[in-house]
Amino acid sequence: MTLVQFLVFGSVAVWLLQSPNVGLAQKPVTSRPSIVENGKPAELSSDRPPPPSIEKLIAQRCLSCHSGPEPEGGIDLTRPSVVAKNPEGVADLETSQLWQVIHDDEMPPDNPLSESEREIVRDWIVAGAIGDFEPIDVFQFTTDHRAGYDWWSLQPIQRPEIPSIIDTGQLKSPIDAFVVDQLARQSLSLSPVARPRDQIRRVYFDLIGLPPPAQVVEVFERNPTDDAYAAVVDDLLNSPEYGERWGRHWLDIVRYGESDGFERNGPRRDSWRYRDWVIDALNTDMPFDEFTRRQIAGDILCEDPVEGMAASGFLVAGLHNTVVGSSQQMQLSARQDELEDLVGTIGQTFVGLTFNCARCHDHKFDPITQREYYQLTATMAGVSHGSRQARHASDEQRLDELTNQIKDLSATISNLEKPARHLILEERLAGTISRPPSPQPLMEWQFAGTQYDVEHRPTVHLAGDARFSPAGLVLDGDGDFARTEPVGEYLNEKSLEAWVLLDGLDQQGGAAISVETPDGAIFDAIVFGEQEPQHWMAGSNGFRRTDSFAGEAEVAGNQPVQMTIVYSVDGTIAAYRNGVPYGKPYKSNGLQSFAAENTRVLFGLRHSPPGSNRFLTGTIVRARLYDRALTPDEVAASAGIETDYVGEAELIARLPTREAEQREKLLKELESLSDEKSILESSSLVSVYTAVSTTPDETRFLPRGDVMMPGDVVQPGTTAAVSQLVSVFGNSEPVNESKRRVQLATWLTNDANPLFARVAVNRLWHYHFGEGLIVTPNDFGFNAGQPSHPALLDWLAAELSDNGYRLKPLHRLMVTSAVYRQSSLLRVDASGMDSDNRWLWRKSLVRLDAEVVRDSLLAIGGKLNRERGGPGYEDVTIIDQNNGTTYYESFDRDDPVLNRRTIYRFTPRGGRSALLDSLDCPDPSAATPRRSVTSTPLQALSLLNNDFVVRLSNDFADRALAQSSGQLEQQITWMFWEVLSRAATAEEISAASELAGKHGLSAVARALLNSNEFLIVQ
Amino acid sequence: MPGLFDRRELFRWGGLGLASTAMMHMMLRDGMLFGQDESVPAAGQFPSFVPKAKRAIQICLVGGLSHLDSFDYKPDLEKFHGKSLDSKEQPDIFFGQVGLLRKHDWEFRQRGQSGMWMSELFPRIAELSDDLTVIKSMVSDSANHTPALFFANSGFQFNGFPSVGSWLSYGLGSINDSLPDYVVLPDMRGGPNGGSSNWSNGFLPARHQGVVFENGPQPVRDLFPTLPMDEAAESDTREFLKLLNERHLKDSLNEELLASRIRSYELAARMQLSVPDVVDISGETVATRELYGLENGQTRDAAMRCLLGRRLLERGVRFVQVFSGGPIAGSPRCSWDAHENVLENHTAEAARIDQPVAALLQDLKQRGMLDDTLVLFTTEFGRTPFTQSAADTVGTGRDHNRYGFSVWMAGAGLKPGFAFGNTDEIGWKATENPVTWNDFHATLLHLFGINHKQLTYYHNGTQRRLTNVHGEVVDEILI
Repeated sequence: MTLVQFLVFGSVAVWLLQSPNVGLAQKPVTSRPSIVENGKPAELSSDRPPPPSIEKLIAQRCLSCHSGPEPEGGIDLTRPSVVAKNPEGVADLETSQLWQVIHDDEMPPDNPLSESEREIVRDWIVAGAIGDFEPIDVFQFTTDHRAGYDWWSLQPIQRPEIPSIIDTGQLKSPIDAFVVDQLARQSLSLSPVARPRDQIRRVYFDLIGLPPPAQVVEVFERNPTDDAYAAVVDDLLNSPEYGERWGRHWLDIVRYGESDGFERNGPRRDSWRYRDWVIDALNTDMPFDEFTRRQIAGDILCEDPVEGMAASGFLVAGLHNTVVGSSQQMQLSARQDELEDLVGTIGQTFVGLTFNCARCHDHKFDPITQREYYQLTATMAGVSHGSRQARHASDEQRLDELTNQIKDLSATISNLEKPARHLILEERLAGTISRPPSPQPLMEWQFAGTQYDVEHRPTVHLAGDARFSPAGLVLDGDGDFARTEPVGEYLNEKSLEAWVLLDGLDQQGGAAISVETPDGAIFDAIVFGEQEPQHWMAGSNGFRRTDSFAGEAEVAGNQPVQMTIVYSVDGTIAAYRNGVPYGKPYKSNGLQSFAAENTRVLFGLRHSPPGSNRFLTGTIVRARLYDRALTPDEVAASAGIETDYVGEAELIARLPTREAEQREKLLKELESLSDEKSILESSSLVSVYTAVSTTPDETRFLPRGDVMMPGDVVQPGTTAAVSQLVSVFGNSEPVNESKRRVQLATWLTNDANPLFARVAVNRLWHYHFGEGLIVTPNDFGFNAGQPSHPALLDWLAAELSDNGYRLKPLHRLMVTSAVYRQSSLLRVDASGMDSDNRWLWRKSLVRLDAEVVRDSLLAIGGKLNRERGGPGYEDVTIIDQNNGTTYYESFDRDDPVLNRRTIYRFTPRGGRSALLDSLDCPDPSAATPRRSVTSTPLQALSLLNNDFVVRLSNDFADRALAQSSGQLEQQITWMFWEVLSRAATAEEISAASELAGKHGLSAVARALLNSNEFLIVQ
Repeated sequence: MPGLFDRRELFRWGGLGLASTAMMHMMLRDGMLFGQDESVPAAGQFPSFVPKAKRAIQICLVGGLSHLDSFDYKPDLEKFHGKSLDSKEQPDIFFGQVGLLRKHDWEFRQRGQSGMWMSELFPRIAELSDDLTVIKSMVSDSANHTPALFFANSGFQFNGFPSVGSWLSYGLGSINDSLPDYVVLPDMRGGPNGGSSNWSNGFLPARHQGVVFENGPQPVRDLFPTLPMDEAAESDTREFLKLLNERHLKDSLNEELLASRIRSYELAARMQLSVPDVVDISGETVATRELYGLENGQTRDAAMRCLLGRRLLERGVRFVQVFSGGPIAGSPRCSWDAHENVLENHTAEAARIDQPVAALLQDLKQRGMLDDTLVLFTTEFGRTPFTQSAADTVGTGRDHNRYGFSVWMAGAGLKPGFAFGNTDEIGWKATENPVTWNDFHATLLHLFGINHKQLTYYHNGTQRRLTNVHGEVVDEILI
């Protein structure tokens, strides 16, 4: 039934409620007919249930003790036929042990079987105690103590019929029909629609977390129609503040924090992209299934690599133990703890299942086996914490374009040069001109060749396993290097040069050639990959003379690369790769000189002493040291020893003028493209704290959760509790890491997974109404009990999936309903019957969340900085104790940078702010699916005395003073409108005027901002 | 360095806060109070049997006290001094350096009527050995400071779980109407590793969190505005707020949520009176001040906090935590984490607390409070019998040891002058009656009349307990 049909139908006003069953949603027939009746919430069922089958009876009454590895009394009733028969194997009542204990009321011990239940057992034994249903699955049936596969939340969703009820003109949405229907059963009724200003305040704080402008309230008060209300709702849902408000809810659920927790609790500087991704996804109304899939496997599923990494930041939003200790047991336990946290969060967040409770034994309340828990850990076993770097797809594309353009342009230039070059080489060959001389090094080491030429001076000594081969000096990166005797000459200006064949491009910090003082305290070196992965740099002691050349990432595979670094007298340092400039030269702090006889040359070691990441892995073919700064032509000539290098000056001299000019122009173009490329290369590289995918070891079942007693191998998978879906992902072949997560994401979001949509809509309901239809938003298992409005829950879930899992239509449905828009005023009659407002006879009052209080104070004080996204503001001092524990101490300061919305707060674990803390803002160490709401003296003290509140009260008073009229009374009226969205009463104006007269408007501001009417939304 | 709660500061408080809040207090008493006690104990079911203890104070030694040098006498260690650890097992320690075995650095003597062995490290506490119940067989799950501290405080190694004091507040509710149930007094040198997570309410409602009392003009954060406000402005503002709230309450038909917020402001006003009052020690006698060591620079910080602890307990605070030791990685060392030199470090640390803690015990006893008050003296783990040094040397420092260490308790319901459990001959691992933190917590709750399995709070799929799914009451140490 569509909404339009419903409204037409509803207005016909048919009263169909004489029999409680009429008009109610009938539970769908499922693929498991035997369990349908249990899927129906008990409180709505008026039919006498059919008598249970024998297996169900035994499952519900006996198996909580008589099953499992150690059944009570050694009697396993998952095969009752064994116990039902006598030792001779005959089913005979007189000699049946089972019948004896039941007949004598010995069993079940506390709550004997009823007469009708006994009958079932007797009939079955008399009929031969046939166990064709055996063994009974302990999880098959829900009992008084636990949920089975027939638990309501696991049953498929079928869109319930909208109850047909009399419309007394109140109803605005199908939601109302479900709620009014339920209220009528409790002899309760909906409250009248709330005052216009209450409706507007409510929906503003709810949808965007900020107070409404006075004008919006006034306009709506003059025209409080449904259409006008709907227009306000649409505006709010379309405003970027919506994502900032609802993103905060999501971050609570996923326990998003920006430090590691545990021992060191170091900050995570680049995890905020996940927070921004959440906000953007909500603002663009990304379908909730896609939203989910990207968080589980965004790094695989997203086209844009940066977005993918940001989305899968979900996987690493929690704690991470960075100090695990040395023992294997502690390391394994820490990893299992991390996996439990991750698997538990995924289950609770997306499907309301507490997978984590099955780590040491089968779940005590829900049909989740311990094996399934390990299937889930196998699914996530390749996920670990770390930072990854990538570029947006658009940047990658532009870089590709630039690379191609540079290539084409280089080819054009080369063609242009070709005739002149050819001429020169011809003449050289003919002996008409001589080749340019290669610069003369101070020292040269020719390592390649069949035998190393020991004549070189100064003599080279090998260390570690360094050795000479025909290819050159071979270094394995683990303690190998070569060092010369002291150099006899003084070095000031200099050039270092080496031909290196790198063994792998992911090495970090080794050097091809270095000059250093004997203790290694001062050095200059050609270093690879230390500060920027795969880039060359001029290494120096304490990075004194080091900066980025912003050259290209190294790609050399099996060819040696010639690197030259030239140190000029003015401090300029230039690098060349294969004879052409490598990135851009830069001006260093100054030239470092090296004394004669007190300087050595190193190969393969950045500097002395040997250790940590200072070793190079690869082969050094040849190396040269010059005691002067080479010119570009000289470097090129040096590179061209075995090539047909032609120097720049020589070439230009031979080019016809027009070609030379043309070439000049193209070279400029080339330079500008190269500049753009190198800038983009460094600026577009984005670092994100996210899931690092590794190839996992096989996962083993851990009996009792003991990491030191691993059992058999477990395949990746999930739980079979959702019976419509396959629960094991890979049977024989190991499924690769990313595929595992994609499969889990698919399982979670599958249309046939009824938990997914139910959990999602219940969260929306929870935040809109203050309490979910299920009051435990993270738990839809046995402990959740029954929903207050089962049919409504399913109808909403069906709406969500029919709307393509878009959330905004659901928000709209909820906040435009009469249930939402009704008054919150206490009604003594209703309160007496339903003080908790479970049946929604009024809109519950809502205390503003901590973030909403802070954001609203900033807005009211005129100080809110609406800057969106990016690294968070830091209102904590970060104290790092010698790389031990990091402490975060919050401070307050009047600074626009800090005046951003609270969702942009840098949120380290334990780094809590007094004001937010006292208003129940949770520490991000644990998931918070619902916040507690408390009224404590500390909260009162914070709201009265906290520096921030006092400051914003003053700011607010200043704004009031600046109001045009300058009349105190009007200023006070304006203040009431800003804070409470209403005019002040005469009594209030007179009291406020008196207060302002004595102590200024800031006293009035401070009181208003502490008032119940402001902090509690009606 | 100014001492805690300098008298001049107290005087200043008097100037800016007391008079106005006193007036407020009187005003509030005039018929506006909705009830004396905001507390809602966990379903009102505790204590479920007659409790021995009504309140407790815990001295938390941060960093790891060497049990071998204090409460766990190992004569064999003298014999083995300089020998290598005779074990095939690679010790599970923090820095991975296993030096030679080292004997205790302080002489041990038998004490009191019980004849309990205690070293000279804590000479004054040792004199009170007949009041102590020492557990010499504690074990922990972690040998890293932060998780081990969390574990000792909350029964879990992770952030996010309620601490002992929060559970007691949740389970038993308030026995005062103007102070928090749970007060934390950090070392003046800084907070322990993990900071406020150590006294977190976790998933329990915020009113159960530990409230830090600090040195300075604001013993409790935001107790007064940082910039002193005019007294009349303060009371007139509240008067106006009251007017707003009362009218609103009336329009809202006395809605309970609104009424409870109004009450919280009344409680806040009372805290503004009672906090300055409790920290004002000017009424303590000279004898008391001398007993605690208030006038001595070395003991002053701990003396002030131990004395304040007693005053808080007297006024109905349920649980007080006094930390001995600041940040682990602080430099120079300001905790018990004696990796480099136990003799130096423990001498300095013990000198700060020995007299104040002994004074606290004596003071509670002479006031008759020890009968229903628990004093706990704990540390997150012990230290190794081998030194942290090269394998062939006897170093001067000891590494972390989670396999065996000592704590003591005193007071309500405990066997006085009693030592329980034991470690192996070199004091490395608990061999006789090992006691886990879960057991310790179960015992603590038991003394408060709470069955640890029944004090639960639903959170994310589980009825959570302080003792996780473990814990046995250590009956042997109870009267």
